[in-house]
Amino acid sequence: MKSPASASWKAPLKFRMPTAENLIPIRLDIEVDGQRYKDAFTWNPYDPDSELVMFAKRTVKDLKLAPGFLPQIVQSIQSQLATFQSYEGQDMYVGDKIVPIKLDLRVNHTVIRDQFLWDLNNFDSDPEEFARTLCKDLGIEDPEVGPAIALAIREQLYEIAIQNVTSARENRINKKGRRAAEHFPISKASGAALDLMKLFSFRSSVVRKRKEWDNYKPILDLLSNEDVDALEAKEERSGR
Amino acid sequence: MAEKSPVKEAASSESVPISNSVQLKPSPQFSAKFTTPTPPNSDVPSTPTNRPPPVDADVIHVPSYSRWFSWDKIDSCESRFLPEFFDGRSPSKGPSLYMYYRNSIIKLFRENPSRKITFTDARRNLVGDVGSIRRVFDFLDHWGLINYSASSALSKPSKDTASNIKSSDSPSLESPSTAAPTPKQSSTSRRFCGACKSLCTIACFVCDKYDSTLCARCYVRGNFRVGLSNADFRRVEISDEANADWSEKETLLLLEATMHYGDDWKKVAQHVGGRTEKDCVAHFVKLPFGEEYLGHPLLDDAESGFETNKRVRLTPLSDASNPIMAQAAFLSALAGVEIAEAAAQAAVNILSKVDDTTASRGDNGSLERNSRQEISSNGDTNQNASERAYADANSQLNKEEEDIGRAITEITEVQMKEIQDKILRFEEMDLLVEKERQQLESMKNLLFIDQLNLSFRRN
Repeated sequence: MKSPASASWKAPLKFRMPTAENLIPIRLDIEVDGQRYKDAFTWNPYDPDSELVMFAKRTVKDLKLAPGFLPQIVQSIQSQLATFQSYEGQDMYVGDKIVPIKLDLRVNHTVIRDQFLWDLNNFDSDPEEFARTLCKDLGIEDPEVGPAIALAIREQLYEIAIQNVTSARENRINKKGRRAAEHFPISKASGAALDLMKLFSFRSSVVRKRKEWDNYKPILDLLSNEDVDALEAKEERSGR
Repeated sequence: MAEKSPVKEAASSESVPISNSVQLKPSPQFSAKFTTPTPPNSDVPSTPTNRPPPVDADVIHVPSYSRWFSWDKIDSCESRFLPEFFDGRSPSKGPSLYMYYRNSIIKLFRENPSRKITFTDARRNLVGDVGSIRRVFDFLDHWGLINYSASSALSKPSKDTASNIKSSDSPSLESPSTAAPTPKQSSTSRRFCGACKSLCTIACFVCDKYDSTLCARCYVRGNFRVGLSNADFRRVEISDEANADWSEKETLLLLEATMHYGDDWKKVAQHVGGRTEKDCVAHFVKLPFGEEYLGHPLLDDAESGFETNKRVRLTPLSDASNPIMAQAAFLSALAGVEIAEAAAQAAVNILSKVDDTTASRGDNGSLERNSRQEISSNGDTNQNASERAYADANSQLNKEEEDIGRAITEITEVQMKEIQDKILRFEEMDLLVEKERQQLESMKNLLFIDQLNLSFRRN
């Protein structure tokens, strides 16, 4: 599904995650009988449904959750899958869009903040590979950070892809002409997309300005236990 | 966009018992250097790196049928079982990704080998979609590369040392025969479902594209690999096969049982499980090694005495009060004739090589006798090996004899040469002495002439 980079208007593509693997992020937050289960992971929507049930069973067994979790987990995952599938048949426009992806995560004791640019047109992109490399480069020893990063990236990409779909739908509804539709992907960008032309024009250089360096640097923090507890308490309070 | 750690499952008031090792991190970490995320109260992890492990956690048990495993290589059975990584369908899901999953899961398990890791632990720590991680995890679990602790692995009762050794090897007989033939679709062994690992009894469904077998239940539930559909499977009836074939596992159980119980076929049938006494007896009678020892057609009515004969012959050295030889005989009987022959031949070769360096004929002879004994206990088809060895020893003996003969002749030659030299010298001396005598005689003659002259002149 590689499209030539020169054309700014491309034929509408079928909705999919703009990554090499069409995996979707799933987030679970279930409370049964006072037990709260929060989790997030990546799921392959083409796995058969039996896979889903097996996964739920194993999770409940491994984490020794109450059996009441099982149907809820299955249901939650299925509904998220259904949402994805409902978008799947539709078209989306992807212009020349380079979006900034922001990471601001706390995983156990590690806090990571980062910002980088991601090419939406690159359908060979791999958030998992990126997350693995990032963790390795930063020397993050907690193995749970990697999946969290990959998931955060996927979620943001998913959101942007959904926005593309809705924008494509609006285009069709408006029934604007072809030429007008050209400008839409660019101008109707969610505001976070950057204009390639402006950025990489011959007048400005490709090298980032110095004052922006700090924005695009990954920041890694290790928290002590007390900080972790304090943050958790705060989040729970805000969540309620 | 502050996100709470997606892994946290802390409940409000009730604590969820979480087996996740990451939750137990009591020690505060102020420095930037992170210690590895294993709980400090666990055993010292016996990682393959150079951390000094305690003595008991030093050894990681891996079943012998998983011997192919190596950190850097991908074996063919892995690509067979997990084709999604190897068929190039998706560009990022390649062998390197598979190796990353596999090695991470195994490392995670080996950090604390006394504890079984759950799939949830594994998938939490790996970047990727949980479906593929689950498949890799299941594969490793099935092949015993993770969560394999000695207590849970051996499902057969192991009663004495011989069968202990055998039973640690027995998974090697049964598991490859179940795991390997199911992809290879051999017609003899029992069919095990590729998905739920249960025995296929009535009918099974075979997919030719990926060489996988599913039991009826899995097929109906759609519990097959991603990418297959119902149409790819064809139905294979095995209701008749199940009872007819004896799997290797059952044969092994039968042999063990016969060793323990001898004639008590009721106990043997119990031990084998799933076969009636008559079946056990009939199958035992049909076992191949029996004929080698007997050499005459098997009779059904002479069973009991016959079976004791067979039992004795099964362990021909069992009364040699040498448990090692008994085990060797038992092993070789069960391993098969060709394997035993090859093993014995190799052993003899190496032993003879070792003895060449010591270069002692007596040792050779006795060794040859021992090895001949060992070989002959394994049946007539090993005759060639013993004959060959015998011929080798003979030729070596002959060679030594020749050497000695040659040495003796040389010695005699040297001595004769010495004598000849002496004779020569004596002859020379003789000549010299003869010459002196002649000179003396001539002088005597001269003297006599002088005397005559003198006396003549006086007168």
